[in-house]
Amino acid sequence: MMDLASVGQPAGHVEGPSKVTGQARYTADIRLPGLLYGKCLRSPFPHARIVSIDTSQAKALAGVHAVITGAELPDRRIGRFFLDKPVLARDVVRFVGEKVVAVAAESMDIAEEALTRIAVEYEALPAVFDPVKAMQEDAPRVHADTSTYTHPPVPDFVHPGDDRLYPDIPNVVSQVFYTHGDIEAGFAQAAREFTHTFTIPPVHQGYIEPHASVVQIEPDGKVNLWISNKTPFVAQAQFAAALDVAEDRVCVNTAPIGGDFGGKGSLMDSVVCYHLAAAAGRPVKMVMSYTEELLAGNPRHPAVITLRTGVDADGRIVARKARLVFSCGAYSAFTPLHTVHGSVHAAGPYRMPNVEIEVFRVYTNTVPAGHMRAPGAPQIVFGVESHMDLIAQELGLDPLEFRLRNTLIEGDAAPLGEKWKKIRCKETLEAAAKEAKWGAEKAANRGRGIGMYDREPGAFGPSSATLSIAADATLTLMTGAADTGTGSYTVLQQVVAEELQVPLESVRVVQGSTDSAPWEVGAGGSRLTHMAGQATLAAVQRLKEGLTAFAARHMETPSEQVAYRAGEFVNTNEQRLTLPTLMAALADREELPLRYTGEYVAEAPMDVTSFCAQIAEVEVDPATGQVTLQKLTTAHDVGTVLNPLTHQGQVEGGAIQGVGHALTEHLIVQDGAVTNVHLGDYKLPTSMDIPEMKTVLVESDAGPAPYEGKAIGEHSNVAVPAAVANAVFDAVGVRLMDLPVTAEKVYAALREKTARSRTMRRGNS
Amino acid sequence: MKPIQLRVNGQAVERDIPDNTLLIDLLRNGLDLTGTKEGCSVGVCGACTVLLDGQPVSSCLTLAVTADGCEVTTIEGLTEGDRLHPLQKAFIDYGGFQCGICTPGQIMSAKALLDENPHPSKDEIQSWMMGNLCRCTGYYKIIESIQAVADGKVST
Ligand code: FES
Ligand code: FES
Repeated sequence: MMDLASVGQPAGHVEGPSKVTGQARYTADIRLPGLLYGKCLRSPFPHARIVSIDTSQAKALAGVHAVITGAELPDRRIGRFFLDKPVLARDVVRFVGEKVVAVAAESMDIAEEALTRIAVEYEALPAVFDPVKAMQEDAPRVHADTSTYTHPPVPDFVHPGDDRLYPDIPNVVSQVFYTHGDIEAGFAQAAREFTHTFTIPPVHQGYIEPHASVVQIEPDGKVNLWISNKTPFVAQAQFAAALDVAEDRVCVNTAPIGGDFGGKGSLMDSVVCYHLAAAAGRPVKMVMSYTEELLAGNPRHPAVITLRTGVDADGRIVARKARLVFSCGAYSAFTPLHTVHGSVHAAGPYRMPNVEIEVFRVYTNTVPAGHMRAPGAPQIVFGVESHMDLIAQELGLDPLEFRLRNTLIEGDAAPLGEKWKKIRCKETLEAAAKEAKWGAEKAANRGRGIGMYDREPGAFGPSSATLSIAADATLTLMTGAADTGTGSYTVLQQVVAEELQVPLESVRVVQGSTDSAPWEVGAGGSRLTHMAGQATLAAVQRLKEGLTAFAARHMETPSEQVAYRAGEFVNTNEQRLTLPTLMAALADREELPLRYTGEYVAEAPMDVTSFCAQIAEVEVDPATGQVTLQKLTTAHDVGTVLNPLTHQGQVEGGAIQGVGHALTEHLIVQDGAVTNVHLGDYKLPTSMDIPEMKTVLVESDAGPAPYEGKAIGEHSNVAVPAAVANAVFDAVGVRLMDLPVTAEKVYAALREKTARSRTMRRGNS
Repeated sequence: MKPIQLRVNGQAVERDIPDNTLLIDLLRNGLDLTGTKEGCSVGVCGACTVLLDGQPVSSCLTLAVTADGCEVTTIEGLTEGDRLHPLQKAFIDYGGFQCGICTPGQIMSAKALLDENPHPSKDEIQSWMMGNLCRCTGYYKIIESIQAVADGKVST
């Protein structure tokens, strides 16, 4: 074990005081002189031609300062990678909830009143909602012509495989293959084959802060933007591109993010907010209502997942073919680059020499999908882990035994050929099984189920951080990463305190705007502890070197003979110089504070991953189908835990999101429209819905983050739904092939099962 | 328009407001008390919880006129000078928040609980807090934070 002082301590969030006192200003809390409120009229049709728009009555309303339609805006599509989304609909609407007209007014009431005075005439067009149907030749086309849409080439680091963008299949945005080994040869070795299809509905990220944007345009045209976006520098680039202005003409200001979970990485209303501010000549704020969030946010992709697996006579997997169809909704603008990253998990953390994964992202006339905590993985892992249990059942093997026969072990190549070091998949699964008392006696209608997953620490994009030291020796770390609440700032604070051997409280961490902070990709893909952590280490290193040189000059000693130790410099004569004394001495000569910036880019792809094994224990009421999650065991293969308090917070919060997705959450889509557009109907777990939770950490020392830490943000949410569905099967023998596992579905499946066994009995008699 | 007089965090407030003004808008827009947050706007999430004469209410569902003659306490009213309320301190020390958007509402609800029942059991805390959604924490550490205050483990 390393000898650590600050790192490894359960430190409370460094930004805590501002959050618990209500002083923290989120985007919706920004107030500016002359601020107007913006609101949009949205499409009631899933697919329609806009015949005419009459805004005259709205414009005439007192207190209205701007009314704009798509036709009045530059014909420029926006997005993160695929630029396919108009800021306001032009000519055609493609989903229920698409923005058609925007209004800015003195108050929200007036803006809403103005919307009711706008008349839009539509001509309905045929629509398609199901991604599998959308791929058929006779399906309505969501976009008549995609040839003018732009997108960057797929960089090799993202996926070096065979990618086709807009292939010649109806409504398909991208088709991606991941292959390893020889799939046909693999199936030829199989003693038995199994094929199953699973359906996963769209779900909302459920952050409590709805998206907000505030735009203020300075007299010289410089734009100040506040936005609930977790990646301010990325937002700056996309926003500038959307306006066709230079990036440095846009400053993204600081604000904490009121919950992200992947959903706060798009421009959302910010561009239309800009156009309103420009038209009105006053700053404008737009805050989505939660109804708008549920109707037209950027939910997780619904998916249809088909898995075919070949198993040899010993119950070892020899081949897996996966076909993953994701609906990306009406626009692909704010969905991942070309694939849905979680697709690589279609083989699971299991040894299998021959794999072929085919991924489609398909346009449908539904709300455009976005990123959500481990994009793609929860959908796929529900399929993969349910499939594992179905196979085990057919083979007459215990689900744990079947997995143990197939889990990766040290020295194995992962299914897509990755060579991980320190593979502890089996150990993690065994730790979970032990804690959950797998195999122990169960009461009637009780069952246990397993779910497994692995994910490597995020390593993409550059990170940087600036550490400054002021005349009074106070230390401030400035990061350009927004605070999404995961505890990143606290981890960075701990890294600085650890390296400088100073008390935690003596280090401040602040977010800098895009004008003041060094460039930083920001939160996402479980990368900050690793990447921003390493950038912070580099900044501390530079500060130490810089100050050592000053100290040496002050002590009239060669630099090599001066060492830094816990807040002071010591030379070989044991002469000491404390940081405050040094800084006071520098005050006359140097411009203070002194600033040192560290940067970090991961050189190579990750060579470690983190395994997660989860076991759910449920009780099913056979009379109603009601499923109660009694206990959830979550075991994680972790590196050094830099902050046990916030680390555990990620484990618990993620797991309970998984519980929501397992049991209650589901955007109900009828004729393309989300119908449960109310947090009373879209059921997030409450404090009454949480099970007894047992966390097991299997610690190792192989992580790429400072002090050998790994990542934890996108692990515990992924496999819970599969674990729950498997437990329900174990409890009452019914298998659900889709989510969520609601009482209605379990009840119906129980009735069907009873009816079947009656028919069978009759057949036997 | 209707004239109202109330006390907010101990300060007298007099305003002329339209009858349909919601308490949350009076607080956030009228008085710049943006510590009270708006999530669902329909009385489900609890982010907008404030105390009206000591009782927790969803300020997104409460007409400001009903606060006429009342005492309103918001998250900004819990701190005495620089001194955090024990609940505020506990939420930091026990990890009772992450993004913090639900936190003012959580703390105001918890305060109402402890005012009424200073030593609640874990089950009582869990069921009382049901009206305050949190998407970040999974609730375990919120419950621990409140329990710590009830058990007298937090000094400020
Ligand atoms: S905003 Fe008032 S209860 Fe949700
Ligand atoms: S702390 Fe983020 S919603 Fe509760």
